Amino acid sequence: MRWSPRRTRERDLERELRSHLELAAAEHEENGLSPEEAALAARRAFGNTTRIMEQAREMWGWNAADILLQDLRRALRNLRKSPGFAATAILTLALGIGASTAVFTLVDSVVLKPLAYRNSGELVAIWEHMRFLSFDPVGPNPRHADLWKKETTSFSGLALVQEALAGLSLGSEHPRLVGSVTSSANLLDVLQVTPVLGRGFLPEDDVKGRDNVAILTWSLWQTVFHADPHVIGMTIRLADVPRVVVGVLPASFRFPDANALRPFSRKQKGGIAIEPSVFVPAALDPNTFGWDGDFGNWFALARLKPGTDPKQAQAQLALVERRIAREVPEGQRDLYTSVQPLRDAVIGDSGTALWMLMAAVMGLMLIACLNLANAQLGRAVSRQREAAVSIALGASRRRLIWNSLTENLLLAAVGGSVGVGLAAAGLRLFRGYSPLDLPRLSEVHLNLTVLLFSVALTFGSMLLFGVLPALKLMRTDPQVSLQQSNSRTFGTKRTGRLRACLVGLQVLGCTALLLITGLFSNSLLYLLHRDKGFDTTNVSLAEVRLPNKTWSAAPDRTAFADSVLRGLRAAPGVQSAALVSAMPLEGETWIEGVARIDKPNLQSLINLRWVSPGYFETLRERLVAGRVLEERDRDLNSAVVSEGLAKALWENENPIGSQIATEDRKFTVVGIVADSRSASMKSAPPRMVYLHYKDRPPFAVVFMVRSARPAGEVLAGMRQTIWKSAPDLAITRVKTMNAQLNESLAGERFQTMVLTAFGIAALLLAMLGIYGVLSYSMVTRMREIGLRIALGATRRRIYALAAGELGIPVCAGLAAGLLAGILAARIIRNLLYGTQVFNSSVMLIVTALFLAAAGMAAFLPARRAASLDPMETLRSE
Amino acid sequence: MPGASSNRVELLQGTLDMLILRTLVFGPAHGHQIAKHIRQTTDDVLQVEHGSLYPALHRLERKGWIAAKWESAAKDGKREFKYYRLTPSGRKQLLVEESKWKRLTDAIAGVMWPAPEQER
Repeated sequence: MRWSPRRTRERDLERELRSHLELAAAEHEENGLSPEEAALAARRAFGNTTRIMEQAREMWGWNAADILLQDLRRALRNLRKSPGFAATAILTLALGIGASTAVFTLVDSVVLKPLAYRNSGELVAIWEHMRFLSFDPVGPNPRHADLWKKETTSFSGLALVQEALAGLSLGSEHPRLVGSVTSSANLLDVLQVTPVLGRGFLPEDDVKGRDNVAILTWSLWQTVFHADPHVIGMTIRLADVPRVVVGVLPASFRFPDANALRPFSRKQKGGIAIEPSVFVPAALDPNTFGWDGDFGNWFALARLKPGTDPKQAQAQLALVERRIAREVPEGQRDLYTSVQPLRDAVIGDSGTALWMLMAAVMGLMLIACLNLANAQLGRAVSRQREAAVSIALGASRRRLIWNSLTENLLLAAVGGSVGVGLAAAGLRLFRGYSPLDLPRLSEVHLNLTVLLFSVALTFGSMLLFGVLPALKLMRTDPQVSLQQSNSRTFGTKRTGRLRACLVGLQVLGCTALLLITGLFSNSLLYLLHRDKGFDTTNVSLAEVRLPNKTWSAAPDRTAFADSVLRGLRAAPGVQSAALVSAMPLEGETWIEGVARIDKPNLQSLINLRWVSPGYFETLRERLVAGRVLEERDRDLNSAVVSEGLAKALWENENPIGSQIATEDRKFTVVGIVADSRSASMKSAPPRMVYLHYKDRPPFAVVFMVRSARPAGEVLAGMRQTIWKSAPDLAITRVKTMNAQLNESLAGERFQTMVLTAFGIAALLLAMLGIYGVLSYSMVTRMREIGLRIALGATRRRIYALAAGELGIPVCAGLAAGLLAGILAARIIRNLLYGTQVFNSSVMLIVTALFLAAAGMAAFLPARRAASLDPMETLRSE
Repeated sequence: MPGASSNRVELLQGTLDMLILRTLVFGPAHGHQIAKHIRQTTDDVLQVEHGSLYPALHRLERKGWIAAKWESAAKDGKREFKYYRLTPSGRKQLLVEESKWKRLTDAIAGVMWPAPEQER
């Protein structure tokens, strides 16, 4: 195909000339010549056909396609002559473009693309903020939300949503775990989604007693029901509650999973999240809720009326909220609301983390390209003579530049296509195992935007590392170049400065990246080594969820917990066993108000946990005063409070024996435990109240065991013990406490790991850059250095000379890099824990590390220069 | 476009282009016919070299002044020839070349045979 225009043209001309000859011959024949003579005469008269063809070809000249082809062939030839450079360049570009493309795909799918709902820009989340939770946004109290709905005009719809895991069964077989969404009946209207089969929820579905309906997602319908069109009207059991399927949602419909749509927007690692696939009405009666408490159990999702500004809506809400504040107890009236675009709510902090990753990878890419530019510049300088000859022989400068750009184009194109392949493969891996806990992960795939980005990146990098050398060639003055006898002297002052600038830029990027890496490592170390307030070694966890329907009777649940605990404690090697009502390290839950009975105006919001005796021993939480919960507390309404709460409500008084009220019941404080970060490693320890599990036996139970043996060895035994008490129970998770701790920090660990890898790569690249530039410049100055040594310069002076060569760009780059790093870190400071952005020790380490690396890179060329034999150098000239 | 350069080749080339364009005013023709027409109308004074005719034809075609099409000859339907025909821009070009040529010959004539009525 590439040959065709030229080929056709040639064939056309050939045919034309032949027809001419034939005609001429025919004329001669008419004049009486024999056919042979006629043909001969015609050819004689015509002249040399080959020459005519040649002349025509010359006239045609070289068109753009031919030139490109020619240049490509020439570039290929050039690259084949230096396979080392070609391989390095392609590999660098492939990795750079691959990594950038992969990260950009994540940024694009997670952060940039709008949510896949009609007019998704109108969708918002509404949060409440209160003093106790340091005004962090939490899901609203349903009673407040009900008032918002009634008293504002900004929203076309407001739905409350709760996500959970539930066992789904069609009848006889074992239940499978699915993600379920419980919401007010208008959720689908708010999202503007219409089922493809059956109907959506009707207002009457939202009434207790008539709420036994369910709507399925397309994928659940496809997999579990094999796309049976008669699914409408079928009865399923969801968490042991029979429900009639009334609708199936469209194939394109996705709902954010429980981790993406948290009623606490505070960053915390969520539990397991399964893509939601069953929707059921909540049948909420707002009047059953109090004005206080019940925060964070629901997520408020609303649609703004078209053209309504979120700020307008927020102003309206503020008025309503002021009225609500009058209803809540005095100490908790610092209450306000905020409206956030749903997309931002879903993305959460992942956006910042991804942008940071993007910046890091682009920085690395830039450094790599600068290295290539430097290498190409070196190659260009050594090819200057060749260029000079070409110019002297009449080659146009434009052609020369184009020629040198083609080589880069070739490299970039190969690197880019390999890179996109790498990105696709990498993303497939990433989707399977994502340590970043990203929302919208199911939406991640390479698309046109991403491909355009990669193409732009490819050409951008090509220009970045190709234009400078090309311009260099353009400035070639053939006379000057050819007069110089030796290629060594080609490196002009200007090129030297240019290359020093490139090195400076590299150093800048590298130090900035190193600084941020340092800050993240510092933050991770802080998280890992800060005082947890509990001990994870040899502790194992097992979580079960009792279906509400079958286990609705509290005594059943108590009996179940009793029997499992008995079994666990009897198992060999178990030192202590306990249960708790919420999985540790998965954030604050069950937030309630608590007040002193004797001084009702002393109140606080707390996390409630129902635990068994042995809980504090198993986690080794420290007792500060009084005693821990014991078996006798089963019917005593005893409570253990955390140190933070004790200080808040009692200050200097002794809380032991004092009475508190929470959940409309009274409890007596029997003990105080030290604050612990068992809710989250990333936030301050919340105030806690621990009650005996008999008070409200939990449906979600986490059993924990401290064993003499390593935790991993008792996991199987825990499973057996639980099944012995309830054989048909689905055990949601069984893991060691250490695993839970690590998983809760997996995102931070991953970020730090990636940044460290990038930082090391950047450092190596910068070292390579320094080495390359310095050795080149030393070689070009060999004669001068030889002369200096001959005139008595000491080795030390030569070292100083070498150091002076790049000293200024390296130091300037270092300083600018530290500054840039600090500025960048300020933007992402909410990803850092216990780490100041301006961190002198990190800065010191980075500087030292970099200077050591730079010194190492500079040492070899400097030593080579210092150990020159002056006689030999001078003689060889 | 060759400017005021007095290069011999370019001058000839320009002339040939003009002659070809002028020939095609009478209607489409193939290379052989063009060459023959020029030879015959100048009473064999101008012999068009085939070596310059064909490159010239292709050059003109490329510039868009003439267009080519393979057609069978009107007399015997057997043989196909590449027929060239003048395009509108070719027609314009012909006017340009003609006036240029006129100026040139006038100027040369003015030098060679100065005459009172040749003033400008």
